[in-house]
Amino acid sequence: MWTLENLAAGSVYFGLVMYAAFGGADFGGGIWTALASGPRAREQRGDLFHAIGPVWGTNHVWLIFVVVTLFTTFPKGFAAIFTALLVPMVIALIGINFRGAAFAFRHFGRQTGEHIPFVASAFAVSSILTPFALGMAVTATATGKVVFVNDWVQAEPWFWIGPFTLVGGMIGMAICAFLAPIYMTVRTEGELQRDFRRMGIMAGLMLGFLTTVEIPVAMIDAPLFAGRLLASRGIPFIAVSVISGITTMILLWRDRFLLGQIAAIVTVTMTITGFAASMYPDILIGQLSLAAAAAPPATLRAFFSVLAIGIIILVPSLLFLYWTFRGESNTKLQSSGGLNTVTEKITMDL
Amino acid sequence: MDNVLSARALMGISLGFHIIYATIGIGLPLMLMIAEGLSLRTGDELYHQLARRWIRPAGVLFAIGAVSGTILSFELGLLWPRFMAFSGPLIGLAFSMEGFAFFVEAIFLALYIYGEQRLSRRMLFFCTIVLTVAAAASAVFVISANAWMNTPAGFRLVDGKLADVNPFQALANPAWAHEAVHGTLAAYVATGFAMAGIYALSLLRGHRSDYNKRALTLALAVASVSLPLMLVSGDWAGTILAVQQKPKLAAMEALFTTTRGAPLIIGGWPDPATGKVLYGIRIPKLLSFLAYHDTDALVEGLDAFPPGSTPDPRLVHPFFDLMVASFFIMLAAAVWFWWLRWRRQEVPLDKWPLRALLFASPFGMIALECGWLVTEFGRQPWIARGHMRVAEGVTPQASIGLVLLTFLVVYLSLTVGLMILLLRPASTEEVTEKSHGDRHVDS
Repeated sequence: MWTLENLAAGSVYFGLVMYAAFGGADFGGGIWTALASGPRAREQRGDLFHAIGPVWGTNHVWLIFVVVTLFTTFPKGFAAIFTALLVPMVIALIGINFRGAAFAFRHFGRQTGEHIPFVASAFAVSSILTPFALGMAVTATATGKVVFVNDWVQAEPWFWIGPFTLVGGMIGMAICAFLAPIYMTVRTEGELQRDFRRMGIMAGLMLGFLTTVEIPVAMIDAPLFAGRLLASRGIPFIAVSVISGITTMILLWRDRFLLGQIAAIVTVTMTITGFAASMYPDILIGQLSLAAAAAPPATLRAFFSVLAIGIIILVPSLLFLYWTFRGESNTKLQSSGGLNTVTEKITMDL
Repeated sequence: MDNVLSARALMGISLGFHIIYATIGIGLPLMLMIAEGLSLRTGDELYHQLARRWIRPAGVLFAIGAVSGTILSFELGLLWPRFMAFSGPLIGLAFSMEGFAFFVEAIFLALYIYGEQRLSRRMLFFCTIVLTVAAAASAVFVISANAWMNTPAGFRLVDGKLADVNPFQALANPAWAHEAVHGTLAAYVATGFAMAGIYALSLLRGHRSDYNKRALTLALAVASVSLPLMLVSGDWAGTILAVQQKPKLAAMEALFTTTRGAPLIIGGWPDPATGKVLYGIRIPKLLSFLAYHDTDALVEGLDAFPPGSTPDPRLVHPFFDLMVASFFIMLAAAVWFWWLRWRRQEVPLDKWPLRALLFASPFGMIALECGWLVTEFGRQPWIARGHMRVAEGVTPQASIGLVLLTFLVVYLSLTVGLMILLLRPASTEEVTEKSHGDRHVDS
């Protein structure tokens, strides 16, 4: 169980959860920016834009962490995934590109941002595009349609488009759309808070619906995955995510926003965990196992020693950061220019 | 367009773009550190204000560097999966370490930017120290991956499979030390000159404030201290290349035939068909001296290596010469400025020395990009020298030309968007001030 490659897979999984929890909320902000409507649409957009501004850079650190850990510890799996899933990865990358640009553009002047239609639309489109494409790419690894011929990866060019991955892409979007407004409920008051509460509940119902639909779809389109998900290893995670999802809805309904936020994070984490548990012990289901894809033990050991040293340096730094900005309302920080900050993330999340 | 060429073009464009932001992300923290340190030491508020004014560009540049870095990490897999499957276990460590350094940088940049009200001046200064160290460390680590491609180490190949993998040996590969030192110093020179140029322009336009004078002096001081070190580390790199990467040295110097007492060829156009350099200036025996510190030493030319295993000197020699020329342009402008500054005991405000600085200001970045091109083109046709050719590392996916086209459209539309934004009249003084800074670094 505690083999080096399993620990490495755990690191990739951890990175994915962090990226979903942090980056997901960020994309979700963009999605709701596109959908903002009603009498307070402008304020909603403004708040979302400001909330996103300071935090989005940190999310990229998590994505980079996932990619780097993947190619260091599972080079063969990394090569296979990025070869077979070239198109959805390129789409995700274009989205990331536009998001970065929209962010940078906003900083050329305080008064720009949402007032420039190009920036606003680029931002919204990329916020939808990226989680959808990444959701498709991640679920595509569970279809079993990537095969190995002569030790090299082969797949139909458009294999990644199917009912299972399309729902997977939508789940990716729903996770994002679910987290962002729930995080926002803790940072807003009055009518705006009601709006974000409503958005959170809507997205939560959507996420529940999509993940429920994905199970019968998987039975047809990704049978191996469905078999593992509905076995003893997947069921507990399904149960916990259903329970925490319902808990989130109840907490939001009863205006318990801080707890609702924690329940939302648990829901998303458990959804991803259920997926990861059903993939285990493969990186490409049924075709490439973690053990077969893993780097030599010397590399894995070196990676973990670097990880340990990194944690020794990072944890006190992060604690210092939290301690410095403890209890600070971050409205002031946002207006001062909004670089990505871990701080704002934390004040936003907890 | 053929697949390999498309992949190389896309990787090159993405890297060339990322390098600019990454460079400033390394250089600017050093400026922040020095300014905050001086402010603490002298009690002069102006230095502190100087540093605080650089926050906004620092934040935006850091963010763009993060995005362009994310794009690169994807492209490693999308364009070069076979290379990554081979080298991931070896160079992954360098990238992981860079990732942590980058994370530390993010944390302390956040502390420095948002901590003004919460932290003491001493603490802010401490943040800039960590920031500077972390930024330099991330450069040093990521350069290790590049150095590994030039001098692969830390493994054996048994039947085409990796064996005896030692990632730490791969990290500390033979080319790492000189590349890391030369590359990191280059970031300080490039940032220093770029910033000096901004303030020289400001002074030329008549904004003769103490603020501008001091900012110019500080930026140029950092660049000027690093400049001679560039020469020293460049010489060091050259002598090591003469041992480790002879074909690259031959291509840099456009030396076609193995020669005893080889001349240094300045400029000119190397013609592989005839094996001659057209219009170049020759300085007898200088190359032998530079490479081996012996005027009669034997220097291997491109003909000493099997055909098809050497780089094209037409892509290496001109960039090498441009890099060296940039050095002398910057040196001349800096010497002129400091000489006047020393004679008059104050910042010279004469038109011509300031214009010279303005002219020299982009050459730090130009030199840095040229140096990078020399390293990369000089490694061809290998992706991991001696072990894997570029064509063997590329993705088997056939549509890379289309991917390149897509990204060209994306980059082009972003540039157009940026231009539209920059050309809009700014409404406030503050914004005008800022867009100057950004215009420079973003263009």
